[in-house]
Amino acid sequence: MAYTFRLFCNIMLGAYPHGSASTRNLKQLDKTMTEELEDGNGKRPLSHEELTDIIDLCLWAGQMLLQYGANSFRVEESVHRFGTGLGCDWLDIIVRTESLTITASSGGEFRTKTRRVVGLGVNMARMTAINSLSREVERGEVDRYEARQKLQEISTTSGNYNRWVIVGMVGLACGAFSQLFGGDWRILLITTVAAGVSMFVRQEMHKRQFNPFIITTVCALVAGLIASTSALTRFSTAPEAAMTASVLLLVPGVPLINATHDFLRGYMSNGITRGVLGLIISMCIALGLMIAILLTGVSI
Amino acid sequence: MNGEVLFFVLRDSFWSAIAAVGFAILFNVPPYTLPACALAGAVGHGLRAALIALFGMPIEAATLLAATAVGFLGELLARHYHIPRLVFVVPGVIPMVPGVFAYRTMLGIFEMTGLADLSAVEGAEVLLQTAVYAIRTGLILAGLAFGIIAPNLLFRRQRPII
Repeated sequence: MAYTFRLFCNIMLGAYPHGSASTRNLKQLDKTMTEELEDGNGKRPLSHEELTDIIDLCLWAGQMLLQYGANSFRVEESVHRFGTGLGCDWLDIIVRTESLTITASSGGEFRTKTRRVVGLGVNMARMTAINSLSREVERGEVDRYEARQKLQEISTTSGNYNRWVIVGMVGLACGAFSQLFGGDWRILLITTVAAGVSMFVRQEMHKRQFNPFIITTVCALVAGLIASTSALTRFSTAPEAAMTASVLLLVPGVPLINATHDFLRGYMSNGITRGVLGLIISMCIALGLMIAILLTGVSI
Repeated sequence: MNGEVLFFVLRDSFWSAIAAVGFAILFNVPPYTLPACALAGAVGHGLRAALIALFGMPIEAATLLAATAVGFLGELLARHYHIPRLVFVVPGVIPMVPGVFAYRTMLGIFEMTGLADLSAVEGAEVLLQTAVYAIRTGLILAGLAFGIIAPNLLFRRQRPII
């Protein structure tokens, strides 16, 4: 009876080398039944020190993915790929928006470690690099030492774009929004300037480590003040499009999209956290705009 | 009439492509993907504008369809460039994020706190307006997120690893 059951387990593990939820339970059951039994996936059991190193790398990769704006599912998937690719049998990963907990197991050994994750700065290039590194690790092309070196390289790469290019293009993007709202070329000009200056203020405040909510409020205020000059100087008589478009650079698009993404993928608490973050940032934008309206007396 | 609609949609696509590129640069995407981000932005917002202009579709439904189109386009682009879909899809749908609705909701909340007479008709009006803005924001966001992950939900039902 036990033999048949073990055979069944091995067949299941052979058929699904990575293990789904059900095969995983069988696998654990199998392990408790016979400790000496070799793993179905043919991996060498790792030592305590190796596990420590691997879990450290996994936490690092996961932390960066979270900070660079990946959704919870992608973090879990990539970290899992990373850990199993480096030799672990299984990883249990708890992704939260402000911390990451990983239990890595191999043979009879297991290690658990938690890392605090703070700050959000969307960076697609680094996210892409970590994702492709996790695939290389999965294919066995990169070992632990190389992976550490590559993570170090990824975490120190400079941005692809000059800060003035960012200021100009973000300004122009908000100008484009004002055109979508039906503004004329004067509105386009003033919105581009307002959003560009706002972006510059954002970069400067970010450099000085201000609280993100204060940054958002101040930037919305600056953008609103500059956009409202269009009405005050009679440069253009329709300031609505300029006022609404010039703060769109601050809209928390990534947290809001990630929030709904997390809900659909079943990460309920993360969805709530990200949704509330998006809500508070939207509120800060409205507050900044409101102050600008009160100061200038322009109505939108 | 049709020419007018075509011009409107093309103009809309042009400006949303620029908006998508602006946000792609803000998100620091790899430079060689910028044209693809522009394409995603143009297709998404342009399709939404076309659906609204041609069929008089509500903005929520049009957003769902347009975001789904961007999701599938992102899948194709991701296979072409061998990088994650999110790089194209997130800048592509950013022009459709209901930023104006979101902070009109917030402005409405601020306005409600400043009402002098709570029983006045205008108070009820503000409350209703704010509620409608909030609901539309939520629905549009849900449509966007569903559209983005539609390819995954439909074609990768077996989770490969986790």
